[in-house]
Amino acid sequence: MATPIIMPRQGQSVESCILTEWKVNPGDEVAEGDVLAVIETDKASFDLESTASGTILELFWEADDDVPVLANVAVVGEEGEDISEFRPAASSPAQPEAPSASAAPAVASVDAPPSTASAAPVGISSPSTASSGVSPRARKLASARGIDAEIIIGSGPSGRVIERDVEAFLAGRPNLSASARVRALEDGLEPPRRGSGLAGMALAGDMRVPGSIEGAETQPVKGIRKVIAERMMQSLQSTAQLTLHSSFDLTVAQAYRKQRLDDGKSKVSLNDLIAHAIIECLKVHPEMNAHFLGDRIAVFEKVHLGVAVDTPRGLLVPVIRDSSDMSIEGLSSEIKKLASACREGTIPPDDLAGGSFTLTNLGMLGVETFTPVLNAPEIAILGVGGIVLKPKRSASGEVTYADYLPLSLTIDHQAIDGAPAARFLQSLVFHLETNPGQPFSQPNE
Amino acid sequence: MKYDFAVIGAGPAGYVAAKKAAASGLKTLLVEKSKLGGVCLNEGCVPSKTLLQAAKTYHHAKHGSIFGVEVEGLSFDFPKAHAHKNQVMDKMRSGIAGLMKKHKVDVVEGEATLLPGLAVSINGETHEADNILLCTGSSPSVPPIPGIDSEHVVDSTGILNRETLPDHLIIVGGGVIGCEFACMYASVDIPVTVLEAMPEICPNLDPEVAAVLREELTKKGVNFKLDTKVESIDPKSVSFANADGSDSLEGDLVLVATGRTPNTKGLGLEELGLDIDPRGGVRADDRGATSVPGLWAAGDVTGQAWLAHAASRMAEVVVHNMTGRPDRMRYDKMPAVVYTSPEVAVVGLTKEEAEARGLKVKTGRIPMAINARYLAENPDESGLCKVVLEAETNRLLGVHMVGGACSEMIFGATAMLETELREEEIEEIVFPHPTTSEIMKDVFMAVR
Repeated sequence: MATPIIMPRQGQSVESCILTEWKVNPGDEVAEGDVLAVIETDKASFDLESTASGTILELFWEADDDVPVLANVAVVGEEGEDISEFRPAASSPAQPEAPSASAAPAVASVDAPPSTASAAPVGISSPSTASSGVSPRARKLASARGIDAEIIIGSGPSGRVIERDVEAFLAGRPNLSASARVRALEDGLEPPRRGSGLAGMALAGDMRVPGSIEGAETQPVKGIRKVIAERMMQSLQSTAQLTLHSSFDLTVAQAYRKQRLDDGKSKVSLNDLIAHAIIECLKVHPEMNAHFLGDRIAVFEKVHLGVAVDTPRGLLVPVIRDSSDMSIEGLSSEIKKLASACREGTIPPDDLAGGSFTLTNLGMLGVETFTPVLNAPEIAILGVGGIVLKPKRSASGEVTYADYLPLSLTIDHQAIDGAPAARFLQSLVFHLETNPGQPFSQPNE
Repeated sequence: MKYDFAVIGAGPAGYVAAKKAAASGLKTLLVEKSKLGGVCLNEGCVPSKTLLQAAKTYHHAKHGSIFGVEVEGLSFDFPKAHAHKNQVMDKMRSGIAGLMKKHKVDVVEGEATLLPGLAVSINGETHEADNILLCTGSSPSVPPIPGIDSEHVVDSTGILNRETLPDHLIIVGGGVIGCEFACMYASVDIPVTVLEAMPEICPNLDPEVAAVLREELTKKGVNFKLDTKVESIDPKSVSFANADGSDSLEGDLVLVATGRTPNTKGLGLEELGLDIDPRGGVRADDRGATSVPGLWAAGDVTGQAWLAHAASRMAEVVVHNMTGRPDRMRYDKMPAVVYTSPEVAVVGLTKEEAEARGLKVKTGRIPMAINARYLAENPDESGLCKVVLEAETNRLLGVHMVGGACSEMIFGATAMLETELREEEIEEIVFPHPTTSEIMKDVFMAVR
């Protein structure tokens, strides 16, 4: 009996997963529990396991598709079974049927009344949708030569791609070696304008991802990189970012850390102390612990601190939920645990969402100060730089040197003004210089 | 005089470049301080192959009994072989001269000095050129061995001019040149000893191919001492050391064949700011461009490949790039041959080289003796054919052969490599029967 395999829901906040790689092909025999594909949610990757045994009858999605959770991704059953009932409605667009030559153009007709809305979204027409189909002969020739006929601009009726268009297209491209042709057909790669082989023949090593630039190694943007790209762009386009820089004298914080060790307590890092200080200061500056949602601002009761982690797969931001309930020791061990889960790729997706404030640290990489990018819709992010030696004047007027740690606070000016943000930063500096690792206490005026 | 293109050195790089450039309409100057044809024609490939053929003919005559051929009163007239060699060289040289004349290349005899600003001074005259190709070749290396300047010590140039046969030839260096001369002299019954510092001869070859060659030359009477370091050369003997301790061998002729050095001295290169690599070669990219714009380099002077056909190809690449046709060297697909009996012919990567590049490979290997033609013609000689394929794609990466006249069929493997054929395509190529070349098809059946 044919059984659909669904995209599992990887945590409550996950609406879709990117199917990064199929591990099976139609016709393969699989057993329950076999890995069918690698999927990537928001920021972690998983194996998609088969929930049935039998033959893979159909794969509904292609690698790199963004698949909604609970959608059917594949069907397992016996050879010859009907699978049409399982085909998901939202699956990748079916191959367009070649329209007849008399078909109306797909784009809206020009004499339609202008829309009353401000502007129509751009990007509706792309070369593939603009083309009015591909003739069977053209498609056959194109596929034999390892190219995608859809990308060719057609000269037939309504821009239909006909055989001579494919021939003209091929004439402008290098001859492919046998191995290069296999890469074109199997991996969807394209040759450069001129290859490095005999008389410009394109060799396997010359084949590039479509859209590559000569002299550059080009990789498709997918998986985590794609998520980060979207998030960063969305952050910078939808928020009004302003960064405030300060620094704090490390003397007391370092003494605190040493004292802990002398007292036989657990080791805490400077980063842990800063995370703790953020939480303590947010208790007295709750307006900084918020999401800006366009028409409303949500101020959180508790602090859910996100901590940026550099991993081999890219930037991940695990969230320590209810971190305002934790002791410095609890916070320290939680940060360590989540960071290592991120590096190993075992972090549950739900732990990568729901932050209310983010901490990011580039100090260990020699950066002095930087302007962190908001993790929208959070309204603030604190960046920590590297230790710098600075002169300071004591109460007696004497100048001495001390180690300082730079702090850079980026805020969303839509939600919060510069002065209250500065006051938060001031509290943070005061706390770290006088009372690190302890509950916040107001300066004695 | 003002030229479009000036070529310094008339070896296999220089005359090919000059002809090709002139044929495409460039006003071309070719400078040569000695003889047209370079080392290849005058002191290398051509004379050595002529004498090797002489030695092979003698050897076949002497060892023809398996074919029912018995020769009495066999003798070897070495001066006569030299006369044939000289005739061949003269003919080839006049061929090049005629080619230059036909293409209206100005050939000037003299020593060239390069001047800053793409100019060259020859015999007191200065010529300018839009582009200059430096292809001054190489000379035998002289290792620092005490006694190396003795009269009975020769390099590959010197030995080709000697028309008398020694009683015992000692060869320092078991590389390609050392092996070819060892084969030549052993084939005419001269005792030969080869002293090689490395654990195997011809260290650039596939180790198994090198071993077959060593065994076959040993059968011809060559005595190989591997892992052996020469300490000094004395008037009648050569002292050496190896794991067994120090020893010496008597010999009346010593050939030093320990490699070659690019000819970069006395050309004014120091003044030009030309980038020279630590091993003495003029640094050139895969188009032949040096660090000085307009100054190109090809052949042995670059310290790359050390092969006449590589030099000619480099020259062709330079002229193509100079005249606006993109082209580049593909050193990975450069065939190489050792003209011993049996011959060694290789192209592409060995298994070890491919794996060092992180490629997953599979290999095939068959003895030449499974081939009917080979067995008929070479009854007493071992041979081997190996292929290296990329495991996942079946793409051909290398072919390594030893046996018979395999140099004549390596171009087929080169064509397969250049067009990146896979096992699937090669299977469909028809090889005529009975030819030794069929081995290149059959070897794929042994791939695992």
